[in-house]
Amino acid sequence: MDDNLPIITLLGFGPQGWGLALLAGAGLTVAVALAAMVLGMVLGAALATVQGLRVPVLARAAAIYGVVLRGVPELLVVLLLYFGTPGLLAALAGLFGLPPPESPPAFLTGCVAIGLVSAAYQAEVFRGGLLAVPRGQIEAAMAAGMTPWTRFRRVIAPQVLHHVLPPLGNIWQFNLKDSALVSITGLAELMRVSLVAAGSTRRPFVFFVAAMALYLLLTTASSALLHRAETRSRRWAGGQ
Amino acid sequence: MNDEIAFLAATALAIARALPVTLLLALAGALGASLLAALLVAAHQTRALRPLARAWIFVFRGTPLLLQMAMVYYGLGALDAVRHGPLWPLLREPLVCAWLALACCCSAYIAEVLRAALAAVPRGQIEAALACGMNRRTRLIRVIVPQLVRLALPAYGNELVMLVKSTSLASTITVVDVTGVAQLVIAHSYRTIEVFCLAAAVYLALTAALTAALRLIERRLAQGALP
Amino acid sequence: MGGAMKRLVPALLLLVAACHGAAPVRDPGELVIGTEGAYPPWNFTRPDGTLAGFEPEYLPILCARLHRHCRLVAMDWDGMIGALQTGKIDLIADAVQITPERAQVLAFGRPYALTTGVIATLRGSSLAALGDGGVRMDLDARGAVPDAMTARLRRGLAGKVIGVQLSGAFDSYLTGAIGPGVAIRYYRTMGERDLDLLNGRIDGTLEDESYIRPLLATRDGAALTMAGPRLIGGAIGRGEALAFRPGDTALRAAFDRAIDATLADGTVRRLGLKWFHMDASPPGARGGR
Repeated sequence: MDDNLPIITLLGFGPQGWGLALLAGAGLTVAVALAAMVLGMVLGAALATVQGLRVPVLARAAAIYGVVLRGVPELLVVLLLYFGTPGLLAALAGLFGLPPPESPPAFLTGCVAIGLVSAAYQAEVFRGGLLAVPRGQIEAAMAAGMTPWTRFRRVIAPQVLHHVLPPLGNIWQFNLKDSALVSITGLAELMRVSLVAAGSTRRPFVFFVAAMALYLLLTTASSALLHRAETRSRRWAGGQ
Repeated sequence: MNDEIAFLAATALAIARALPVTLLLALAGALGASLLAALLVAAHQTRALRPLARAWIFVFRGTPLLLQMAMVYYGLGALDAVRHGPLWPLLREPLVCAWLALACCCSAYIAEVLRAALAAVPRGQIEAALACGMNRRTRLIRVIVPQLVRLALPAYGNELVMLVKSTSLASTITVVDVTGVAQLVIAHSYRTIEVFCLAAAVYLALTAALTAALRLIERRLAQGALP
Repeated sequence: MGGAMKRLVPALLLLVAACHGAAPVRDPGELVIGTEGAYPPWNFTRPDGTLAGFEPEYLPILCARLHRHCRLVAMDWDGMIGALQTGKIDLIADAVQITPERAQVLAFGRPYALTTGVIATLRGSSLAALGDGGVRMDLDARGAVPDAMTARLRRGLAGKVIGVQLSGAFDSYLTGAIGPGVAIRYYRTMGERDLDLLNGRIDGTLEDESYIRPLLATRDGAALTMAGPRLIGGAIGRGEALAFRPGDTALRAAFDRAIDATLADGTVRRLGLKWFHMDASPPGARGGR
């Protein structure tokens, strides 16, 4: 299609330039990682809580979930959701007598896949975090007449946050990089755009370097923001 | 039902045939990554090579392995210098490219693990060794390395588990490993759940075995350490 | 436990309903045409997001003859048939080859193009001298001559590394008919396959000539050549056509008339030469002038 265009044109914003597409891809990368992080947080917190309850069946199930989703390659999870969801939804719809729905968008299956894996790791982080608050402080808070919400806000959260933020920051970085796996579903995030551009222009080196630069930008910016947040949280946790 | 069993049996057989590829990649990857990591840590200690080591760790930890594999396989393969160079017979092979990307990527993570463990070796022990008059080599072998191994093992074990899982990305550059076979069967038959379960079971077995072995080693080391 | 179930069931229903999606707002009388935007040179997406290629140029011409306004939307092949059946789109224009399996769920219009499958390889490679060069090979034909041709192809490809796109028509042909003598490498995208074809990792590929011919005209592609027989029929299909809902006979007939007109006045020939570097008009329609 195009022959021997200079790099500045290939990466630029003209009609044959992929600059805009790459940037849009980077935006989608962040969106996928963010959505997966949120899902992972909600599910991970739930799993951590469940494992703290005294219901052995649930605790067991949560533990097994963690072992399985941390022991299986993320790529397989993405594959399972991308190829398996249409069939699963069709079966579900059939149960309620509805016609089979159309396949969910690749963004959704991608986020859910990364989110499910992220939840398994976040559960471990939350489990450790919940143990970080000394029992005595919680009892003192209860004795002082604090409501559960105030107890959480004033006593538990600041200290848990301090413990939990560095490993969560790590998990965020992994989410950001794992989002590249969603490229196999065809979603036009950064990895996919660079792959399509590399293939159709037959200049893989140029586009993969550009993609690497953009990923490095994202991970470095995340590092900086997380470092700021960690310093803040250390202050809130008090001289610990 | 018979059809289902036949399908499962055929898939299991195909996966079993691909298992040596996954194992080879994991073992060679772990070896390569660990050796590279040791080199990186050593380079980090020197003034001249530290920026190089820092840059390596920055790039390989800051970008996805999937992209790194595509870069090594397609990116290098498009360069005339590589195609006409002496390494082409090796770099031509998808498995070699997968191993290269895997080793370089994991070396960055392992190097960070080793650096953290190195910093955690109790200063007092090193000073005691100096006071005893040990030379650099003895100090390294008798004091630092044993402590390093004990401190680094949990995190190093984690990285090994991640490495085993990361071998699955080789399937994206035409390597027919366990995941590659799974993708092929799914794409040709649309029976996702069964194939996924079979492939997942293989990886779970591998990571479970690895984790158990690491726990055993950790326990053995703890027995020999001071309370 | 009952409380959780009470929330679970509506949540699942909501999930299923969400996937049905709201019907897109469309003008009455507007035709919505589904295409991939990822199958060059038939249809592809430019970096700036606009659709280009044979079909994005051809379909508006057809719709103008029908005096209808049409809009092309890009979507994955996986979801296209479902979108047609649920009415989200009115027809599919995606170089869909007419095969018996597809004819069971889709109603094909008359073919607007006929292209064959061909092997592409680096000039001077062992495959470049493959026999039956340029000879048409009908995969639906039975008898001694076709069987001998298949046998020759099998021998010629034995021990070679052939790359194909995963789940494509050529994938199933190679895997099924040619069998285990060939080392097949599967690629997710055609671009990746092209890269490995050009750097020599694979000995050759089996692909549609409408894709190969423009590739040969590029600077990198000049190193390639076509080899061996031209395949048609079977899994590879006989011609590309628009796909409609089986009940939509009036719309299909209207498009058939428009296609006939564009074949007669040379529009298809002109667009074929532009996008495929060949006249892809189906036989019987050629030589009209």
